[in-house]
Amino acid sequence: MSKIITIAGVVWLDMVRRKELSVLLILLATLLAALLSFDVFGLSQVTGYVKDMGLLAVWVLSWILAINTAVRQLPQEEQRGTLIPLLAKPVSRLTLILGKWLGAWSITCLSLLCFYLTVWLAVWIKGGTFNLVTLLQAILLHAAALALISSLAVAFSTRLNRDAATVTTYLVTSAAFLLLPRIPAMLVEAKGAASYTLFTLYYLFPHFELFDLRRRLVHDWGSANWVTLAEILFYAMLMTLVFLSLAWLGYRKRRFSRGDIL
Amino acid sequence: MFLAIDIQNLSVSFPAPTGTVHALRDLTVAVAPGTVYGFLGPNGAGKTTTIQVLLGFQNADQGTARLFGKPVTETIAREKIGYLAENPDTYNFLTGRELLTMAGRLFNLPASEIKTRANQLLEETGLASAADRRIAGYSRGMRQRICMAQALINDPDLLILDEPTGGLDPLGRMDIRRIIAERKKAGKTVFFSSHELSEVELACDRVAILSQGRLIAEGPVHELVAPGENLERYFIKAVTTATPEKRP
Repeated sequence: MSKIITIAGVVWLDMVRRKELSVLLILLATLLAALLSFDVFGLSQVTGYVKDMGLLAVWVLSWILAINTAVRQLPQEEQRGTLIPLLAKPVSRLTLILGKWLGAWSITCLSLLCFYLTVWLAVWIKGGTFNLVTLLQAILLHAAALALISSLAVAFSTRLNRDAATVTTYLVTSAAFLLLPRIPAMLVEAKGAASYTLFTLYYLFPHFELFDLRRRLVHDWGSANWVTLAEILFYAMLMTLVFLSLAWLGYRKRRFSRGDIL
Repeated sequence: MFLAIDIQNLSVSFPAPTGTVHALRDLTVAVAPGTVYGFLGPNGAGKTTTIQVLLGFQNADQGTARLFGKPVTETIAREKIGYLAENPDTYNFLTGRELLTMAGRLFNLPASEIKTRANQLLEETGLASAADRRIAGYSRGMRQRICMAQALINDPDLLILDEPTGGLDPLGRMDIRRIIAERKKAGKTVFFSSHELSEVELACDRVAILSQGRLIAEGPVHELVAPGENLERYFIKAVTTATPEKRP
């Protein structure tokens, strides 16, 4: 475990020293300014709109950050020539994958907390409030969704180059976000091969809609059932493990630096 | 007692656009503990491939490779080794001291030992005054030295060096020679590939010469090189005899 934490620590130092966290500060400032100036049709005092727009922005920004941070970790090691000296130490490829994933996920979670804090601040300035228990549940589930997204990005980056892995992760996660909740309705009319395909996709892709408590927060519906929440967290853990295992399978026999070998 | 390196009948090939490239053919090499072993050959002979196999990056088509009795495919085989790559690159955003601390942690060394070893190595490599500066600001020679220090953080029983003197100035080469001599004095094994045959002649107990993936000569330097000859002449003769197309 200490090796995994050491590798994750290097990911953190990389982000901090390259001043990439300053991007986060810019995003936060933009988010806050946008939310505070939100005044469509004179509805500036309706905090529900601020909550809705703010939480949507948090989901979009954290989605982008999670993918961009996780997807580059392994290809970057190869590109800068640090992979071979790293693997020449008693570090297994699984340890490397877990360390990179943990580093990317933890830094995205920190950003997530900052985003939620900014939205909370904007809502508070506008005179509104959040149910704190529901907010805590929303952050927990959101962090779990980011774990899943990061693992998916790492898995793609083991076999694809950085750009291809980024595009593929965006496509797969977008499809999962937008299409998966509609599949049950589509299944009613689908027949034959189309029906089987939709059915397979429904169970194969991760269900991100399970992690989204935005409506509960916006409309003050109160907190979710804790047992259900625990089940969703377990689902996230399971799916993350599946994607990290796939990443390991894709990486364990991979050859490096073919050009340098001969 | 186990051999430091035990390679038996190793063959490695790669698919290439022009057909299969046989990088190593039936290679057998045995390196006893405490030996300084030179691994020589013209470009494309298979030296780096052999090192890649020893580090577990490259799978063999056939044959076996072991480090201190452990198969190279096992992570634990790398517990006792240090490795310095040709033209080494490292994390430029870390300071020299942070790099050594990170490397020590990856070997599961206790924090107190990491601190002591790091300070000692920074002194030995002449980087003590630059220890807390970022590596991005180091010169090429300083980078080579910090990478060497990183390779030595676990006081390895086997040090693998791939072209360690390539591109270094005479002072840098002298440092590498001194480190190799110190490892030998401490009873450790050093396995290095190099084109600097005068360096090899000075430092090595035994050498192996590879050409087109085959072992064409192996033995103590004084047995291979006739009196009045030098290793460079012997090397050229051996390679051109084994592979006539290499003849100038």
